[in-house]
Amino acid sequence: MSIPATILSFDLKNIQSTNRLIGLWRLLTGFRLKYLIATLSLGIAAAAKTATYLLLRYFVDNFFVNQFNPLPLWTIAAGFVILALVEGGFSFLSGRLAAQTSEGITRRLRNYLFDHIQHLSFSYHRQMETGELIQRATSDVDAIRRFFADQAINVGRIVMLFIINFIALLKLNVTLAFLSIVIIPLIMLISVQFFKRVSKAYEAYQEQDASLSTTLQENLTGVRVVKAFARQQYEIQKFERDNWEKYQRGKRLLKMHSLFWPISDTLCGLQMVVGFLVAAMMAIQGVITPGSYLAYVGLVVWIIFPIRNLGRLIVQASSGMISYQRVIEIIREEREPLDEGDYQPGHGIRGEIIFENVCFEYEHDNIVLKDISFQCKPGQVIALLGSTGSGKTTLVNLLPRFFDYTSGRILLDGVELKRYPRRYLRQQIGIVEQEPFLFSRSIRENIIYSVGRDVPQQEIENVARAAAIHDVILSFPNRYDTMIGEKGVTLSGGQKQRVAIARTLLKNPRILILDDSTSSVDVETEAEIREALNNLMRNRTTFIIAHRIQSIMNADLILVMDQGRIVQKGTHEELLTQGGFYQKIFDIQTRIEEELEREIASVA
Amino acid sequence: MSLNNYYEEEDFEQQTRLNRNVLRRIISLARPHWRWVLGFLVLVTASTLFDSYFTYLSKRILDEGIIQQNTPVVIKLLTIYGGLIVIQASCVFGFIYLVGVLGERIRYDLRQQMFIHLQELSLSYYSRTPVGWIMARVTSDTERVAELITWGTLDATWGAMSLITSMIFMLIINWKLALIVFATLPILVYIGIEFRKRILSQFRMVRKLNSKITASFNENITGVRVVKALVRERENMREFSQLTGDMYATAFRAAWLSALFLPVVQLISALAVAIVLYLSGIQVNSGGMSVGGIHAFVSYITFMMWPIQDLARVFAEMQHAIASAERIFSLIDSHPDVADRSGAYDPGSIRGDIEFDHVTFYYDSDPPVLENFNLEVRRGETIALVGPTGGGKTTIVNLLCRFYEPKRGSIRIGGRDYRDFSLHSIQSRIGVVLQTPHLFSGTIRENLRYGRLNATDEEIETAAKLVGAHEFIMRFEKGYDEQVGEGGNLLSVGQKQLISLARAVLAKPEIFVMDEATSSVDTLTEALIQKGIAVLLKDCTSFIIAHRLSTIKRADRILVIENGKIAEMGTHADLLRQRGKYYQLYTRQFRHQMEQTLGAFDELSGMQPLSS
Repeated sequence: MSIPATILSFDLKNIQSTNRLIGLWRLLTGFRLKYLIATLSLGIAAAAKTATYLLLRYFVDNFFVNQFNPLPLWTIAAGFVILALVEGGFSFLSGRLAAQTSEGITRRLRNYLFDHIQHLSFSYHRQMETGELIQRATSDVDAIRRFFADQAINVGRIVMLFIINFIALLKLNVTLAFLSIVIIPLIMLISVQFFKRVSKAYEAYQEQDASLSTTLQENLTGVRVVKAFARQQYEIQKFERDNWEKYQRGKRLLKMHSLFWPISDTLCGLQMVVGFLVAAMMAIQGVITPGSYLAYVGLVVWIIFPIRNLGRLIVQASSGMISYQRVIEIIREEREPLDEGDYQPGHGIRGEIIFENVCFEYEHDNIVLKDISFQCKPGQVIALLGSTGSGKTTLVNLLPRFFDYTSGRILLDGVELKRYPRRYLRQQIGIVEQEPFLFSRSIRENIIYSVGRDVPQQEIENVARAAAIHDVILSFPNRYDTMIGEKGVTLSGGQKQRVAIARTLLKNPRILILDDSTSSVDVETEAEIREALNNLMRNRTTFIIAHRIQSIMNADLILVMDQGRIVQKGTHEELLTQGGFYQKIFDIQTRIEEELEREIASVA
Repeated sequence: MSLNNYYEEEDFEQQTRLNRNVLRRIISLARPHWRWVLGFLVLVTASTLFDSYFTYLSKRILDEGIIQQNTPVVIKLLTIYGGLIVIQASCVFGFIYLVGVLGERIRYDLRQQMFIHLQELSLSYYSRTPVGWIMARVTSDTERVAELITWGTLDATWGAMSLITSMIFMLIINWKLALIVFATLPILVYIGIEFRKRILSQFRMVRKLNSKITASFNENITGVRVVKALVRERENMREFSQLTGDMYATAFRAAWLSALFLPVVQLISALAVAIVLYLSGIQVNSGGMSVGGIHAFVSYITFMMWPIQDLARVFAEMQHAIASAERIFSLIDSHPDVADRSGAYDPGSIRGDIEFDHVTFYYDSDPPVLENFNLEVRRGETIALVGPTGGGKTTIVNLLCRFYEPKRGSIRIGGRDYRDFSLHSIQSRIGVVLQTPHLFSGTIRENLRYGRLNATDEEIETAAKLVGAHEFIMRFEKGYDEQVGEGGNLLSVGQKQLISLARAVLAKPEIFVMDEATSSVDTLTEALIQKGIAVLLKDCTSFIIAHRLSTIKRADRILVIENGKIAEMGTHADLLRQRGKYYQLYTRQFRHQMEQTLGAFDELSGMQPLSS
């Protein structure tokens, strides 16, 4: 069974509603008929069960009590089997349809959220915590799934069981029927109260479970520290405290259960006994037949006991509604329109860039970039210098339109940047970050990640060679198929960077953004990265966030930034004559060599 | 959360030696609490007896009361009924409490036992076992084993006893019909188990897919910058949709299998009911079956599906619980590679000369990292280890800390083989600062006190002041009582380094070992760290895997380690004059480190003098 594409692609933007129940109803779009049939099937199954007891009544009254047999015996026996078939068949049908609905809705919701989240703007991701987002996309979605798979449909089941069996009881005897449900409001009340408390106690238990896991994990990952300080005993005590607390909370939870079930058992049981007594008296007085008594004994169980579960379902359903709220908050956010824009030349771009008085602010009055103006020709190298927070990163983030500038303009090949669709633009731009993010896939998949299609091995190896990572890859157990991350190899910072370079080489962008840092790199591998970078920069307009003198000296244009402004710009030679910031920076270079000379001379 | 699930099953199978005694050992877990087990078994048995007896009572009410029109009998029987309900409820209270608390207790015991054992295991165990695997053993496997011992045993007892008592009552009422009903039992049990097995394996697949989905979300969100930069949205969506498609298919299958199970069992028991009714209908005139008898049979038969469902579930889950137990026992049975020799003692102090005497070491069966390595270090000396990654520097300090022991040769401290000393006596006197500082959740103060548990607050502050951490700590709102977050992730790397230094200072180590971090911190923090190191080095014998020039230069002796051997050795001046490997290393590092300063523009104006 699969879900029709039209239902799967339903735009969940439409499910927003301030009323959570209406929202959940809208979430059912495309599955409503199925879900309705699923619920009705449960009704039919319940009715079949009730009919079984009525058939039993008929059987006993006609065959045993009156000894008058209007129907042949075999039809009665067949009737039982048929009713069982109906009951089983419809409850199976209901289960199937309900599963199709809940799993279908969940799949659609997961897909939508996944796509939605990856289309949300940079500003959104900046301020939203990763863990929070993941939790909403997983646990909250699962709570919604349970709402449809379990809570909503089972509330329906219990209500229908009650209604159908109650009608049957009314048919048997009205007084008896009403006498049999006296306790039900009390049971419901107790059950709701109990499950409210128990779900709190359960949360406390789960919380302690999480903190026990944290303690364990920190101990395991910090095993060297534990051993180095010989703190085993201390750690054992710490773990014991958490472990004991979990035991205590588990005990509390169990005490609640061990009280609720027998107490509610007793209440339900005594209600039944009262019903039996009245029914038996009626049977003896001839108000009802023995067959009716028999049917009554069978039916009343299905009215009283299921009610206990109603409390659980109601309490859990309310958490499902809270989850809906939390998911909707994500869906409400606007997507970044990737294809908005009217200019996308088929021949690709050349890479001539002009900034004219560009300003950018995240929120109003929080100016991050101010009056940025400069220009560069295709293939030139632009180095950005400045302290953390000076605006270098924000400036390069404007190019792929991760953020849109708020005033001034940027021209790419003479055309306003905002006219290029983001998708097109980003295909033309490559980014190599300081700490590149790799995915837990094979190395091959990480390299071809940038093109999203299969690429011949030869081509992959070519870029890996150019990125000076080919030999490293060959040293891994499964070569290009080696997994990166927990289940495979852990790459060093420099190796990651070179895989990212290979990835970018394969993408072959016209414009390159480079965070030129080797902070986490062994001195030995620096030269290799240097070479890989040179290969990458060839014939591309390159923006370098510079940390090293080499990259500055070769740049065609150097922008020295401070507090969101360009304080100096020009080539290395020009800036040297200007004095100021740049002069100071460059002085370091000469000072380093002088210091080194002096150092070596001093020991000689 | 997602990572744990990855290791839940067969993904990472350690060589678990099949243990014949697994079941016996599982039972032995409950032995200390045998009174509890006995208690709940008795109570649950009593409870099932009541259940079956209730039906029998119902039968008697019909036959002896209603049919005979005997009101006093009805009242008498229903009074018994009501009384028994109350008694049964107290049994239910008893067994839920006993079995539940016992379950929690066994979980507690198992976790405790595993954790204590984990503290003893050597680093070699940790280097070959993923943390996620161990986590899954301590969390989900204990869960499963405790569940089997407690609720599993309870449910199985309940199921079996329910079936047996119903059978007995049916035999009493009408033994011929009872035998016909019994004929369906094996079929029901077989179907039940087969169903359960399939349902269980579907649900395991669902769990697996679920953790994959979580992992996908996680990766796509943390890597959103790359996704956007590489315009991978469509492709990712396609992949993700495949995953959710698999999930849909699997979860759907699991759900409909579950939905099919009870109806099938019900249908078979309905057949049994039909046969019973038919035959008793035929026997009516010969007086074979009473109305109450019919009622009892129908009740017993329709009730049968619950014990069968429970038995099937327990049986299906038992295999997995046993597999879990095997993994737990394999963890508990693994021996630490490094442990105290018999007669190991605490020398009281480990100050003294240190000597590596023809030490050879290799990890697992890899080629040797060190071979015939010799080194003598005088008490109080500061040794800097430099050289390429993989040359053997880390191995030297690992051996010194006795995280590992030499495969051949020996290490002597103060002239005695250090294996004569207890592990605790060595490790409690060695201060270690690791490249990536590891902190524990809790406050800064708690993390500092880790160095010496009985340190006073003043001593803690003094240590923090010594390494220059005091200022930044005081800048926090709560000062020393500021939370550091999980693994210390609320602090910057530099701050974590300073705290781990202060922690080591507080421990007053006799031997100091440090793996210097390469990651850059701002110059101010850098200067503070240098100061902290200087304090520590003052009266310890020290081994430093050095990256910072100032540390290297401060060392009494510099060792260039390459391919497990000492390539060059001497003071900074000696080695520079040699113009060999050290000279190359140093000049390159010098330029590199100086250039790094470029990143720290904030300090540009007040630049520190370059040489220290």
